[in-house]
Amino acid sequence: MIIRKLCMRQSRQLLALSRRAPISSRFQSTLPESPVETLQTPIRDEISRSENPLFEMVQAQSEASTPAQQEFTSDEPQRSNFKKLGTSVKSSYDPENVIRNPPKPSQISLEMLLAAGTHLGHSTSRWNPQNSRYIFGIREGVHIISLDVTAAHLRRAAKVVEEVAARGGLILFAGTRKGQKRAIVQAASLAKGYHIFERWIPGSLTNGEQILGHCETKVVNALDEELPDFKSDLADRPSLKPDLVICLNPLENVVLLHECGLNNVPTIGVIDTDADPTRVTYPIPSNDDSLRATCLIAGILGRAGEAGQLRRLKMAQEGRTSYTPITAQELRLDPFTGLATGADGQKK
Amino acid sequence: MGKINLTALRVRQTALNQFASGKTSKLPQWVGVVGEIPPAETLIRTRPPQHELVQQRLKTVPGSSKPQVVFQVQEKRRKPKKPSRLFQPVELKYEEDQLRTQFFRDHPWELARPRVLLESTGKDFEHYDWSRIQQPGKRLDGESVVQRQLWLLNNVPDMTKSAAYDIARREFYRLRLKEDIQRRVAAEEAAAYGAEFGPSYLDIGMKMENEQYDKWVAWARETSLVQDQRKSALSGAPDLGDTTESSGVEAEEGEAVTL
Repeated sequence: MIIRKLCMRQSRQLLALSRRAPISSRFQSTLPESPVETLQTPIRDEISRSENPLFEMVQAQSEASTPAQQEFTSDEPQRSNFKKLGTSVKSSYDPENVIRNPPKPSQISLEMLLAAGTHLGHSTSRWNPQNSRYIFGIREGVHIISLDVTAAHLRRAAKVVEEVAARGGLILFAGTRKGQKRAIVQAASLAKGYHIFERWIPGSLTNGEQILGHCETKVVNALDEELPDFKSDLADRPSLKPDLVICLNPLENVVLLHECGLNNVPTIGVIDTDADPTRVTYPIPSNDDSLRATCLIAGILGRAGEAGQLRRLKMAQEGRTSYTPITAQELRLDPFTGLATGADGQKK
Repeated sequence: MGKINLTALRVRQTALNQFASGKTSKLPQWVGVVGEIPPAETLIRTRPPQHELVQQRLKTVPGSSKPQVVFQVQEKRRKPKKPSRLFQPVELKYEEDQLRTQFFRDHPWELARPRVLLESTGKDFEHYDWSRIQQPGKRLDGESVVQRQLWLLNNVPDMTKSAAYDIARREFYRLRLKEDIQRRVAAEEAAAYGAEFGPSYLDIGMKMENEQYDKWVAWARETSLVQDQRKSALSGAPDLGDTTESSGVEAEEGEAVTL
């Protein structure tokens, strides 16, 4: 009911409004006469309003012909000419860019790492002397991590992620700090892996049947197509374990890394100057407190995983695999008795 | 506790051993990958990079017409390092540090100006040429003076630190003055075209002060009235005492108002 009459009421208000002349005209040396005329127009409208209630709506559209508005439209070419003047910012920093469109491992440069702030370590009093290899020097009481070492370790880690993805391994991205969620999810979706952005439930690896027993598993072929025939054979299987764990904050995820050690799973971790580098298999010495730095690292590893997955699928389409696929017989094998029935199929 | 845990670094060895001993029936897929790309040596200590303060200067030599580039390395201290500190990282030192300290000691309010700390690509330095103090895409600040001074020290023959400081500072002051003038002109121009900037801080301060004075006047009126009434109530002969008392209060009030 209100919406129906909105046009009428608003247009009446607009007509009654005495508008200021547009700014462009006020740059002229003599002021235009238009404001006086715009004041007169509402009076003219009031006379005709009584005759036709819809008059205002019609009038409001054709009202663009007041002298001020005419002047405004006549100045249009001049204004568009002036718009070309001044500066236009071409490349500006967009914080979302590192999440939406992360760089590839081949694009890693020291400048990029520097801009992301990966070189900033912790206060010298908090250092772990095992990290002395990665430390470039001390500046203002803060350890500075060597950028070339970071780049080398990051490339190495990216290579590992790519190879593991190319062999069909399960990759788990873990980043449980505030703000790392989106980067982790994006990296995992690129690498077709899995992610944790909340607390790691202790025992998810060592006591997986209790904690992850209810989770769904599926059998896929080399082209990642699901094979529903094998659903029933998965009932007795133990819960799956990752082939590679990437941890963005090893300090908070000691339990995760300990369980990976117990289950013999290789790990990649972002190691700041106060973290223990022996907790992970492949350390990436970098600042783990800066979101920009961790997002960059997660993105690069995600891109590496993407490349590996592409390679694997391409090979699969050609009928080759870079890994020894599990046979249907092995899959049908009962884990306890060892009885088997024959059928074709592959599990990656 | 205390011992180094090498479990994570030895995943491949463990996997191979477990397979060999029959604990696992199948080697994991990643064993080949970890074998090809072994983990880095984390625990081997290396001598950290030793940083020295190097100064570049252009000096005129009596024999030749062209000035020569001379590099001066900071003297090493005579006392050798303690063996326990051999593997500790070294302080990073640059020549600018000294210049920066001097500039900001002389101009402490330069630190109060807003500064952009964000680096978009990390390649900003490529666009800078410190043969002049103004740089595209960089706001003029104390850092410009420091970099300009350093450039002068490195590239002008026989330049001294104080002379370079004076040159850089003079350029800086001139540009700052120009900025001030630009800002003032822009404000005047905007005001001429009808912009309103609102009351200035001084006006706001004066207004607040006036409000307090007005409050005080009202309070003084009230208290004088109360005192009047009290005195008239206490005094035995109202017609005699009243006239003198009230006139006194009037005088007092007049004074208060003029204050």
